[in-house]
Amino acid sequence: MIKIKTLSKFYGKNQVLNTIDLEFEKGRVYGIVGENGAGKTTLFRCISGLETYDGQITSDFNKLKDHLGLLLTEPFFFSKITGKEYIQFLANSRHLKLSNIEDKNIFNLPLNQYASTYSTGMKKKLALTAILLQENDAFILDEPFNGVDIQSNIVIAEIIKKLKKLNKTVIISSHIFSTLAETCDEIYLMKNGKIIKKVAKADFNNLEKEMKEFTVGNRIDRLELK
Amino acid sequence: MKDYFQLQFKILNRKMIEFGLPLLIGYSLIIIVFILLSNHLFLKTEFAIYLYGLIALSVVSKLSHPKRNDFLKSIFNKNKYLKFRVVENLLYSMPFICFSIYKGQFLFVFVLIFFAIIMTLFNFSPNINITIPTPFGKNPFEFLVGFRKTFYVFPIAYLLTFISISVGNFNLGIFSILLIGGVCLSYHSKVENEYYVWNFNVSSKDFLIEKIKTCLINFTLLSLPVTVALSIFFFNEIDNLILIVLLCYAYLIKIIFAKYSAFPNEMDLSQGVFIGISFMFPPILLVFIPIFYFRAIKKLNIILE
Repeated sequence: MIKIKTLSKFYGKNQVLNTIDLEFEKGRVYGIVGENGAGKTTLFRCISGLETYDGQITSDFNKLKDHLGLLLTEPFFFSKITGKEYIQFLANSRHLKLSNIEDKNIFNLPLNQYASTYSTGMKKKLALTAILLQENDAFILDEPFNGVDIQSNIVIAEIIKKLKKLNKTVIISSHIFSTLAETCDEIYLMKNGKIIKKVAKADFNNLEKEMKEFTVGNRIDRLELK
Repeated sequence: MKDYFQLQFKILNRKMIEFGLPLLIGYSLIIIVFILLSNHLFLKTEFAIYLYGLIALSVVSKLSHPKRNDFLKSIFNKNKYLKFRVVENLLYSMPFICFSIYKGQFLFVFVLIFFAIIMTLFNFSPNINITIPTPFGKNPFEFLVGFRKTFYVFPIAYLLTFISISVGNFNLGIFSILLIGGVCLSYHSKVENEYYVWNFNVSSKDFLIEKIKTCLINFTLLSLPVTVALSIFFFNEIDNLILIVLLCYAYLIKIIFAKYSAFPNEMDLSQGVFIGISFMFPPILLVFIPIFYFRAIKKLNIILE
């Protein structure tokens, strides 16, 4: 379990996370939704220990980060590192010995090519493959479906379901509601650094409708499109 | 077009300020260093003008990157784009043109201007995407990435060693080791994305030990042909050879500590000055290495502990 208590984060005087309380249990999938800049990525960075913060984040593990697979929105790759070497590097960093990487290449990526030459979707699939092979207990997937082709989206959704079956904790952020609805047990709605709503699976349909009304409002009219 | 150049000027100023250089000093330094290096090149070799031309064109070629120019094409029409590229290429070659005029190389100036303009018609990426095999695949990434960028240096270093043995010049052999050491130093000069550090499930101390171990083993492997050959053919200089290798080890350790002492930021001017001082006065490494080590531990603890 990952427990977050009164988590706040400031960049200078700008508060980006405001007293957040959350609990993520094993064997469940959680979705975090919100507008760009709502604080989702900062929340993920705090949970993974990439940012300092006020408040408390505790877990069943001595060091959560050593059991956490983190998929960044835009994974970073060195210019001269191949896909296979990237997977190898991430495994090495957790002291894991990997064999037959090619057999585990479920997205059919060109593993012997430089990762920096991959398309956005391919980069995401490579980064996801690498963290899955790290044998983590918990996963934070920041927009895993973004830029990925429809076939791979289906595969990713199935991977998330499999992780749930394996009793892993999975936290996802996404702007694609259908995939979130399909994979998540609970969805949290974030706005201006705050969790403003918690929605259980049974209420997902209402959430989409509510979000549309709440988010769109009269914005389009303000554009005065002609 | 004016807006674009103003924006580029602003970006350059910001970069200089971030580096810790006041603008006046920064621009003065750039001009002075450029003049000194150009002068040094012309003093050193009679082929300076050809080398100068190659350097100038390689600088200008940085503006021919397809992604960058596709962006420019998308915001300017064809005529404006071409005009813009010509102005940009000429601006980049201007320091070389000015110095060549000062040297009285007028024909070279015309040739340089001609090629600078011709290059506006082509887009090419300096990055070749052929996967270069390396012996460091099992333990990515500094040596793996670095080796692929500088692989051509090693045959040169080995050739210099061969020449040093043939002509009986020990100093040239030492230069080969220093060349390899310098190249390996450059592999650690740039800080990696924090995600690459975050992934390690070790303490900060063990992280640094692992980095140093990998670095020293790989440097030893790359310099082994040189050190073995020199120790056989210049056995009477073995003590100097050992000293140089140990000095390379010390500098490699120092650069790793210095890099992580600034983590997750790039090394700044003050760290650069410390490194510069240690090159001029190597015994000071005994002071700098522990200082950088404790700073590095402190910085890494934020992410690893």
